[in-house]
Parts: sequence; C-alpha cells; structure tokens
Amino acid sequence: MFKWTWKSLFSQRGTLIGSALGIACTFILVIFFDAVWRGETVQIVSYPNHMKPDVWVMQNGVGNMHMAMSFVWDWKADKIAKMPGVKRVTPILYMNSVVTANQTKMFAFIVGLLPNDKRAGPWALTAGRHIENPLETVIPDVLSTITNVNIGDQLHIADKSFTVVGLSSGTYSSANSVLFVPFSDLEDVLSSTGTYSYLLVDAEEGIDPGSLAKSIRDEVEKVNALTHEEFVRNDFSLAKQMGIEIIIIMTAICSALAVLIVGFTSYSLVMRRRRELAIIMALGMGSMNILISVVFQSGILTFFGFTIAVIFALFVIPYIPLLLPQLTLAVSVTSLTQIGLIALVVAILGALIPAWLVSRVEPATAFHL
Amino acid sequence: MPELIIKARNLTKSFGSGHTAVTAVNNVTIDIQPGEIVLVMGPSGSGKTTLLSMLGGLLSPSQGTIEIDGTNITTLKESALPDIRALKLGFIFQTFNLLDALTVEENILFPAQLHPGGINEARGRANKLIDQLGLEKRRHALPQTLSGGEKQRVAIARALINEPKVILADEPTGNLDSQTGQEVMMILHEIAREQGYSVVLVTHDPRVEDIADRILWLEDGKLGARKQEQHKWSRDPVCGMRVDEWTADIKTEYESKEYFFCSDKCLDNFTANPEQYKS
Repeated sequence: MFKWTWKSLFSQRGTLIGSALGIACTFILVIFFDAVWRGETVQIVSYPNHMKPDVWVMQNGVGNMHMAMSFVWDWKADKIAKMPGVKRVTPILYMNSVVTANQTKMFAFIVGLLPNDKRAGPWALTAGRHIENPLETVIPDVLSTITNVNIGDQLHIADKSFTVVGLSSGTYSSANSVLFVPFSDLEDVLSSTGTYSYLLVDAEEGIDPGSLAKSIRDEVEKVNALTHEEFVRNDFSLAKQMGIEIIIIMTAICSALAVLIVGFTSYSLVMRRRRELAIIMALGMGSMNILISVVFQSGILTFFGFTIAVIFALFVIPYIPLLLPQLTLAVSVTSLTQIGLIALVVAILGALIPAWLVSRVEPATAFHL
Repeated sequence: MPELIIKARNLTKSFGSGHTAVTAVNNVTIDIQPGEIVLVMGPSGSGKTTLLSMLGGLLSPSQGTIEIDGTNITTLKESALPDIRALKLGFIFQTFNLLDALTVEENILFPAQLHPGGINEARGRANKLIDQLGLEKRRHALPQTLSGGEKQRVAIARALINEPKVILADEPTGNLDSQTGQEVMMILHEIAREQGYSVVLVTHDPRVEDIADRILWLEDGKLGARKQEQHKWSRDPVCGMRVDEWTADIKTEYESKEYFFCSDKCLDNFTANPEQYKS
C-alpha cells in the first residue's frame, strides 16, 4: 500500500515538486522569521552579555536594562566599592533614545562612559578608536554601513551633535543598537548630576556573586543587585516577550498556509485517484489502511517541504547577513525541532479533508469506472 | 453434491426512497457450485452489475442474504468485508482497473499484501500466473504501455493471486476487440477449469456463452428464463461478430441506419471510416 502511495506520488513529479516547494516556502518563512526574532533577541541583550560583571547594581525595583531607566546615587557606588569581596565598581550612565544619523532616525541604547573607562565600553572596535574627548561617540559598524555615517561624521543624540570616532562590532540590533558617548555628555543630556544608571561590580576571586549581590541589597538602601546570570535572564525574557506575539502570529499564518498547500495537494491527488481508491477498496483494502496511506502521502509532501526548508536554513540563512548586514539571524536546533513538530501537525491536518473524501469512496464504483 | 460457494437468497436492492425508489435487483436467489462458470446476462439496466456488486460484498442488499464459502456476508460488520473480498473473491473489471503507478508484477502482487502469507509467499504464484498468461516480457511494464488484452490478462492474474474461491467478472471483454476478447475468455476459462475456480461473469457478449456451464437471464432486476425472441441478432460491421441488438449498448447511427458493435474498438474503427464498413 505504501509502495502504491509512494509510486503514485512520484508518478506526478510536477505536482510533488510544486507542492514540496510551496510547503518549503512556508516553512522557510517560519524559519526565517524565527531566525530574525532569535537573532534580534540575542542581539538586544548583547551589551549586558558582553560586559559580564559578577553583579549588576541598579535602582530598587529595576531588574533589567532593556527599555529600563535606573538612577543610583554616586555615593552608593563608593559604598559598594568599599564592601569586602568587591574588586571593582564600574558605573555607567544609560538611556534609551532616538539617534539621527544622515536623516535616518533609529532607537538606540546610549551608554555614557567615564573617562578612560575600557571596562564598560565597546568590546571590539573594527575601525577608529575609543572615545577620549567630549562629544565623541563610538557607533556600531553596521549602523555606519546602513546610514553611511563614517568616522569623522556627525550624528545627533537628543539635542547634541557627536563626532563618530570609532566603529564597534557586535553592538548593532535593528531594535536598538548600542552607542557609546562620554559620561559627562550623557549627564548633560539627562540633566542629572551625581547619579549613575547601573554599576558593574566585579568580585574578588573566590567570592560567590549571589552572596555578594545579597550583601549589596542588604547593606545599601534602595538598590537592587542581581548576579549577571539573573540580570541577563531578566533582560532576555523581556526582549523575548517584545516580539513573541508577532512571531507566533507569523508562525500560525505560515503554518496555516502550509496546511492549505498540503491539504490542497493531498485533496487533488485523492480526487484524481478516486478511481484507484475504489479499485483498491474493491480488492479488499480496508478503509483504515487507505486513511493511513493518505496521511502517509501528506507526510511525504510535508517531509520534502520541511527538508528543503531545513537545507535552506542551514546553507542559505547564514549567508543572508553578508548581503543584509542589518539582519542578525540565529537558527537553532531547538527552533528547527519546533518547526519539525509544527510540520508533523501540518501533515496530519493537511490529510483531514482528503481522509474524509476517502471515507466517502464507494468500492462498488469500481464496477462503473 | 458439493457445498455451495455462493448461496444468495431473496436478494433485493433498492435505491432511493418514496416516489423515487428504484428496485435494481428484485428477490433474486442464486446458487453457485464450486468450479462452476455462470453467466449473468440481460439487457442494459437490468441490474446485472448491482447483483455482482452485492455478491462481491461491495454493496449491501436491501433484503436477503449472501453466503460466500459458508460465511454470511450480509450479517458481517462493514470492517470485516475487506478480508472476504481480499481472500475469497477475485474481481475482473470491464475497464481493467489496473493501478497506473505500479508495474505489471506489482499490480498482480497488490492483493497479496492482504493474504496471510504476504507478498513474499505470493511471488511463486505470481511468477506462475505471469508465465501462464504470457506476461513474462511485460513484467516490469507500466499499465499505460500495455494493450487492452495484456491489461485484462494482468487483471485476471491479479484476481487469481490470492487463490480466491470465486472470480467475479464484469464485462471482461467489453473493452476488447473480438479476437482479443475471445483469447482472454479462453484463458480465464482454462485457468478456472484447471484450478477449479467458480466464475460469475456478467456480460453482453453472446460469444462468451460457449464457455459457460449455466446462463442466468436477469431482466428488470428479476431472474427469469431467457426467451428466444429477446434476441435480435445482427453483425458487427467491422469484425463480423454476432451481436444481440436487444442487449448491445455499443451502437451508432450512420446515414439513418443503426449499427451494433461487439466492442468500443470496432465502433472506433467504424467511426474512423464508416464508408468502408457501411452496409
């Protein structure tokens, strides 16, 4: 029976290839959207991820960085720096703002760095240098490519103009890139003095970050202190929440499209093969076997479509950022497995209407064909 | 007296209900002996195919009972009928009904997957049938490359692969030219006689009468004696075979005269060049 299903499907290569490609397109869309979302989600938390202090300290009630605002008095940084087990405290000022570069406006994280601070600054420069003077900035290299703002050019943050002195890699995200400016300039933009946004606390060797965070919470009033893992987990989960609905909707739309293609193809194959189905039933094949063969047929179509999509995901998607540097794509085994499970559901759902049609085939019609 | 292979009692099949009800088969009783070749003849629309469908477990009767090899199939669950069809019955159809994507050998072996021995055990039987039916050179051919006669021989082999008790054939020569039709019938006759298969054959073709042990005449859904006056013989203008005008449904009109044919192929030949054949 499976041989007949298999050979019948392959006897109509045009239909098979067309359907498999159609299904593959829908899965490619799902994989692509998922890759964009995952890539962006990872990229959104790339700054805290790369800073990796043992403990993050922020205003009480704040637990992450993405889209958050935090103020910590400067004397609290001094107090923490003097606590046992603390090796170094690196304060940063931080705000979310719109950056205007060559008429292009985009949302960005602005990190204000104290003079000569390399600890909290860009971790990989691809061109230029670190900021040394007022009104200088280091921007993501991808942002420079997209906006055509290069070293020596100006860009605007709030009401101030900054000169680009360096380009950094790994700091671009289409949702929010990370730009570095002098601490005093950002202080000026925020009209604040004597406050920091976050404190990056490095612990002495052998000190447990969890215990240190607890000590800071206990001893310094109105601050929150979290280990790096907790802080990044909070940020990542918030970043994930921001796009998850869209991704679920896109996945649902594409999956529904895949179900329609699988269903329509299986339906048309069953319609074309009603004559043979009646013959097979007349020859003694039970309806359960025939229903299984319809599901098998739909499974083959979905499998081919999914395989093409996975090949695309593994061999094409990694090269897309070379053409479109603003895209950060991440394809993971987990996402492919999830899409594989969706494919399984697609195959079963796609077989429902054809299976219903099969159940209505009368074997007696074999005599009248 | 040997046990009956088919024992059908008071079979009635009605379609529709109320004013639109049509009784296709009306209170028919048939007994078929092992090894017996029985022809069911009758005019078009007399209920022959409906009767055959009921005997084959493809259609449930409105009334009456059918026993196949001692099993009452009218009381069986729907889900049990496929096994009866697969193991006790072999079907031969007018339009051959081969599976297009499968080769000759695969078509023949197809019902064997439903046999307890499976396909592997059936290979020997398939080889024998392929040899017997002269299909050796066409073993790996697809149905679309076969002639009508070859297709029907494959269909016969497929019907016999599970060594059923009964072969049910519906107009097996209907789509064949007269010579091929005769050859196919002779093959079926030989194998049935040799292996002791019972054959129930529905046909319009009067030439098939020669191979039958018994002829049943079905008219308006009822079995009855065939009356001589119900024949009106004429000659197929293409092949010259005798055709019964009362029962023939392959016919055409040319220059205000009606012509009757033994097969579609003869009709096609006539249509292509009527001047050559007109009388």
